[in-house]
Amino acid sequence: MLDIVFILASVAFFAVAWAYALGCDRLMEGRQP
Amino acid sequence: MTVAAWGQLALFSALVLLTTKPLGLYMARVFEGEHRPLPRVLGPVERFLFRLSGVDPSVEQTWVGYTASVLAFSLFSMGVTYAILRLQHVLPLNPQRFGPVDPALAFNTSASFTTNTNWQSYGGESTMSYLSQMAGLAWHNFVSAAAGLGIAIALARGLTRRQAPDAPRTLGNFWADLIRATVYVLLPLSLLFALVLVSQGVIQNLSAYREVTTLEGAKQLVALGPVASQEAIKELGTNGGGFFNANSAHPFENPSPFTNLVELWLIFAIPAGLTYTYGRMARDSRQGWAILAAMAVLFLGGTGVAQRAESRPNQALASLALDHQAGNMEGKEVRFGTAASALFATVTTDASCGAVNSAHDSFNPLGGLVPLVNIQLGEVIFGGVGAGLYGMLIFVVLSVFIAGLMVGRTPEYLGKKIESPEMKLAMLYVLIFPLIILGFTAWASVTRWGTSSLSNAGPHGLSEMLYAFTSATGNNGSAFGGLNANTTSWNTVLALAMLGGRFLMIIPALAIAGSMVGKKVVPAGPGTFPTNGPLFTFLLVSVVLIVGALTFFPALSLGPIVEHFAGAAGKVY
Repeated sequence: MLDIVFILASVAFFAVAWAYALGCDRLMEGRQP
Repeated sequence: MTVAAWGQLALFSALVLLTTKPLGLYMARVFEGEHRPLPRVLGPVERFLFRLSGVDPSVEQTWVGYTASVLAFSLFSMGVTYAILRLQHVLPLNPQRFGPVDPALAFNTSASFTTNTNWQSYGGESTMSYLSQMAGLAWHNFVSAAAGLGIAIALARGLTRRQAPDAPRTLGNFWADLIRATVYVLLPLSLLFALVLVSQGVIQNLSAYREVTTLEGAKQLVALGPVASQEAIKELGTNGGGFFNANSAHPFENPSPFTNLVELWLIFAIPAGLTYTYGRMARDSRQGWAILAAMAVLFLGGTGVAQRAESRPNQALASLALDHQAGNMEGKEVRFGTAASALFATVTTDASCGAVNSAHDSFNPLGGLVPLVNIQLGEVIFGGVGAGLYGMLIFVVLSVFIAGLMVGRTPEYLGKKIESPEMKLAMLYVLIFPLIILGFTAWASVTRWGTSSLSNAGPHGLSEMLYAFTSATGNNGSAFGGLNANTTSWNTVLALAMLGGRFLMIIPALAIAGSMVGKKVVPAGPGTFPTNGPLFTFLLVSVVLIVGALTFFPALSLGPIVEHFAGAAGKVY
């Protein structure tokens, strides 16, 4: 049971990190060439 | 400081300085050269791995693609390690017949080694099979360091590349960087220095533990194992996870003052060399030397404070009629003494390594303050393999921005303008670190799961918790001690701190690289602030210290600083 919790927690963390990366990419939309 | 302490410091510093340029040049050839070194020996290995993995090194990635690869690789490799640890009882190379690692500990350990932290809530010799040590942990020592190297090189490419405005905004290929860092840099050096360590008495075998009879006639079980092959990369990759619980205080990991010096050099070798690599990539080696000088100033300052603090007796023993010339020997190996222990503690926390040859918990309060501050400055004093350079480059961007504000000009670095998006990303990088450390420490200090694991009350107890979260978030991995972190709550929360401290900081760093790579380069003019001289080094050191001090001073004043003054007044914790 705990195995599933920790595997899901790992996947959730990396999903959050990916969303955060996409958020950072949005921050750069107004950049100058 | 004693003459011996000065001598050790001088010898160590000279060794690091002597190897900075050749190693930096070598790494510049590996990552940016047309012809990579040792083509007949390592070229076939590189090509084989490219074919095996289907990687085309000529296909470059944008920062988003590079980040996606880092995250995917890390998630996958973390999962593999978790599985190995949980299944070690049915896998081979387990002569001691250890059972499966507890789920929370396996989660903590797999996060720890994936993030190059190597925090250990376990004793290696009483928990891990040889397969777990080699395939689950030592393997990560290579690839997590290689990933860090790749990320630093990607940020360096973003800052230093000069390309046409319509050229693709790419930073290299993560998979190619990962393979090249492993094949050309980490594997050969680790092999060479594993042999050096074996020649000095570090063990390397797959035997079952041996029961021996001591001189007093007692029975003692002597733990054995493939130590040397893990020891070299432990320091070279600034990983720090010991094969044994005692880490580099164990005679099978670090038998003598000579191996101690070798291990110290291994910790700083790549981070120092990378500054020269960066200078080469910037086409101005003085850019790299300026960064190295800033790191050296911060390192020497910390070493001086730690050496001075540890050369004095423990405050609880100072009034006793003892010979105090050896300094504070509590928690230190006699074969190293206070000087080599204080130097090791400073180096290992400067460089986000985390290997230890003494118990930081037993340092005098100001001696223990130094490792804590070193990590809290962001692991930029040489720092982890790759992580130190990309961390310091964020502070470089911040310093250039502050200098621009002071003279009223748009800040620029290496001819590229630093604008609002880069500053927002740099601030994300700077703020996430203390947010995780202070937030989790505050939470732990007011909850039962946090305080029930402490061995000491008062400010020393706070230092133990603060150190644990600082070490985890800074991906250092050294333990202050005095804290039982092997509980489900501590293992889980520390794992989250380690993951956040690694990936939530890598992402803005790579985003800055992606933002800077395609920027137009403007020639330097009379108003350009030079970033390759002593004035910039001074500014960089000041910014690192001010950001660190402003962020962490309140917490430190409640921990080691108040403990120092309480000790002077006769109260110890």
